[in-house]
Amino acid sequence: MNGTKKEIKMGREAILQSIKKNKPEALPMPIIDESAFYEDIDLLNAFKSNIALVGGTIKEIDVAQIDNELKTIYPKANHIVSATSKSTLGTIPFSKETDPHLFKDIDLAIVEGEIGVSENGAVWVSNTNSLVRALPFITNDLVIILNKSKICIHMLHAYDLIKDRDRDFGVFISGPSKTADIEQCLVVGAHGAMSLTVLLI
Amino acid sequence: MIICSVYYIILQLFKNKQERTGHLRINNRVISYLACKKAINNNKRMKVGLFIPCYINQLYPQVGIATLELLEKLGVDVYYPKNQTCCGQPLGNSGYEEDSKGACRLFVENFKSYDYIVGPSGSCIYHVKKHFDILEQTQDVINVRNNAYELCEFIVKILGRTDLGASFPHKVGLHKSCHGLRGLKLGSCSEVMGDHYSTEEDLLNNVKGLELMSLNRKDECCGFGGTFSVFEEAISTKMGKDRINDHIDSNVEVITGADHSCLMHLEGLINRNKQPLKVMHIAEILNSQTQV
Amino acid sequence: MNHAKKAEIFNKDEAKVNWHDKALWYVREKRDNSAHKVQGWEYLRELGSAIKANVLSNLDEYLIQFETNAQKNGIKVHWASNAEEHNNIINSILEKHNAKKVVKSKSMLTEECHLNPFLEKKGIEVIDTDLGERIVQLAKEPPSHIVLPAIHKKKEEVDVLFQEHLGTKPSQGNPEYLVSEARKHLRNKFLNADVAITGVNFAPADTGGVVVCTNEGNADMGVHLAKVHIACMGIEKIIPKEKHLGVFLRLLARSATGQPITTYSSHFNKPDEGKEMHIVIVDNGRTEQLGREDFRASLHCIRCGACMNTCPIYRRSGGHSYDYAIPGPIGSILSPGKDLKKHSSLPFASTLCGSCSNVCPVKINIHEQLYKWRQVIVKEQKQPIVKKSVLKIAGVVLSKPKLYGFAGKSARFVLKHAPRFMIYNKLNAWGKARDLPEVKNENFDEWYKKRNKNG
Repeated sequence: MNGTKKEIKMGREAILQSIKKNKPEALPMPIIDESAFYEDIDLLNAFKSNIALVGGTIKEIDVAQIDNELKTIYPKANHIVSATSKSTLGTIPFSKETDPHLFKDIDLAIVEGEIGVSENGAVWVSNTNSLVRALPFITNDLVIILNKSKICIHMLHAYDLIKDRDRDFGVFISGPSKTADIEQCLVVGAHGAMSLTVLLI
Repeated sequence: MIICSVYYIILQLFKNKQERTGHLRINNRVISYLACKKAINNNKRMKVGLFIPCYINQLYPQVGIATLELLEKLGVDVYYPKNQTCCGQPLGNSGYEEDSKGACRLFVENFKSYDYIVGPSGSCIYHVKKHFDILEQTQDVINVRNNAYELCEFIVKILGRTDLGASFPHKVGLHKSCHGLRGLKLGSCSEVMGDHYSTEEDLLNNVKGLELMSLNRKDECCGFGGTFSVFEEAISTKMGKDRINDHIDSNVEVITGADHSCLMHLEGLINRNKQPLKVMHIAEILNSQTQV
Repeated sequence: MNHAKKAEIFNKDEAKVNWHDKALWYVREKRDNSAHKVQGWEYLRELGSAIKANVLSNLDEYLIQFETNAQKNGIKVHWASNAEEHNNIINSILEKHNAKKVVKSKSMLTEECHLNPFLEKKGIEVIDTDLGERIVQLAKEPPSHIVLPAIHKKKEEVDVLFQEHLGTKPSQGNPEYLVSEARKHLRNKFLNADVAITGVNFAPADTGGVVVCTNEGNADMGVHLAKVHIACMGIEKIIPKEKHLGVFLRLLARSATGQPITTYSSHFNKPDEGKEMHIVIVDNGRTEQLGREDFRASLHCIRCGACMNTCPIYRRSGGHSYDYAIPGPIGSILSPGKDLKKHSSLPFASTLCGSCSNVCPVKINIHEQLYKWRQVIVKEQKQPIVKKSVLKIAGVVLSKPKLYGFAGKSARFVLKHAPRFMIYNKLNAWGKARDLPEVKNENFDEWYKKRNKNG
């Protein structure tokens, strides 16, 4: 074990030495002029159309109507995990200690998203929202509830908004999982969620 | 640019001949003897030096003639330095940049005293501008690199002309050579975001009777690529075939372009496959007076 | 076998070449459309390039900063000078956990290090979980593209492969059916994996976390279900700040597939409670490349594959013709730095059209580097004698006007008067599919001389 450790250290020193020897003179960090990306667009509409573009569905809805709406969209869902107080449809009690393997057969997961990005329809979901990291991926269908005041224009702005978070795990989700690995044919539903619905409140 | 393919063949033929007969010897003694006389054109009245690339000089004199006539028609004093050979591109692109220095220096010697150097071949001009960095950057070298212009660019940018009074009543497909397009930036590229522009289109759109046909792939490489055409023969000819089919599918009658090396490659395929297309350098079209 | 030879074989099936070309051109068009929608796209590329240049010039400091921050968050950081060290580090982690089943999401680095065969020899099951990678893994082939690993496979071939390995029913290559079967097959692998290995797309130094981008969700399925996560990254994956993801994530997916962003952009900053997270930082020739001034910028690469999709040669020769983990234009400037002799044909597998440099989201001057590698190769590698002597002689001829005049005249004479069999034979690659130009009676020089006499 000691031998391995020593070797690893050598790797580190060797790499850093080699970089010092080979790197060019210091080059400045560019200053990002965000005004170059400015567009006078309707954030909400752009967000909606981009969600559709990436294969998701989106609906504006009153908080009180969430449960009814979800019952209509997912009438057959039995095994439901709700990580939000905004829905009472959860059928499987869980906590952040729950073994994610137990979620292998769930039909529906309901989580809250923190921010939406209009340029690409992505929604930021952290483990504060999902409690169990695997939840938004392992579920068959995924619902993300998002406050429509939390939509920003592009990714630079998005990172500004999440910069003070507790860095644990977080993910931008843009649409349902998909693949085009067979002859470039787009198939929705790969390893992650088969569908994504964003409910804007 | 062709030199690497045609010269390759030609010199191989020489080589074979030499082996058989012992007649042709290209040895250092002969070379130094021939190099004794170095003619440099220093005439101060000269304004534009006409650069006729080696392969055009040897194989497509009509392109050189059209270029010269066109420039003269446009009221330019054109001079043709007689000792010109090649810009060195075929060597550089093959990795033999070091061996091209002699050709590059000769180019500078030939053209250093002109205000502008104009040639009907985008890739050669690009080579002069881009790759003459291998020479010591004397004022002459810098001047030559700065003042070298591809023909269309010279006409549009320097002379400020787009309507040259030409007429050519045919359906024309424009092949945008990569070195002209992406190297000299004669036009906007389909993969770069920004406004559309094209030096060659500006000129062709002003030719009476000419109908510029829209292609499916507007600026894909034809697959010539100098020695690439020989050493990657399969891909090179496939690329050329695909370009030609795009033109045929777009009802083109005449393929044109500002770089005859691409056109030579396409013409070679067209002739072999007996396809219903004609190939002409853009200078020939711009110099054309066909009645509408 | 060099690129030209392999490409020639690939071109024996012209219909397949057409299909391959069209599939990738379609991706290139999607990329164009997607980029057109972004205000300030070209500026975004400039930023991407400038940030990466800054990274390379401070790489040692950023790596130390990254390591410190990662360790603060409970991540174990390892350093590997080469592929062997990388593979050994991973093996030692697996041994420690007595791990026998590994799921892996896409990582070109592990491909470069030949990790799979290394672990398989030790009796470990390594499953590639990206669908394309799983397809080529089942076919026992390397990926032919870095983003679309199975782009060379027709759906009917996938169908047969799945019947054989996953016991699927014949479906005439129905993509929906095949994907759903792959989902079932791989879900089982995810649920039973001991360790998940992922690549890394970006590693911000200021947070010490890693970002992994997938469309399928395979990286997350693997990581969140296994007890141990090992993320493998080349040293050049570092970016200075997390906020710079705001630049790179805007560029990456649009350049790669034309999507505005990948479905999942996952930020792993801390191991989950009760689990372990390891990061292996790998050199494997990168610091050497860093020292090559002309080729340094190749380390900007964010592995989007746009240069492959736009490359007219790649599209018509297929990724396997390059015989390197990373094919296409970017592979052709990276591989000579690894093994100049083995990969010496790759910088010549280009017409230097420059489209690769134009699509590159971090503005690597790929075609200029191809040109420069050619000069290096001619200097340092033994060249075919015929090519060499022809070009050397041409160099002399072109510098001597009189000799040139003579050679030109003779050449035209030969072309005009030699019998056809002398010109069109197997020595003449030009003439295999193309005619040579018709030779005129006089060249331009002669015409000009005559005109001046007459005038």
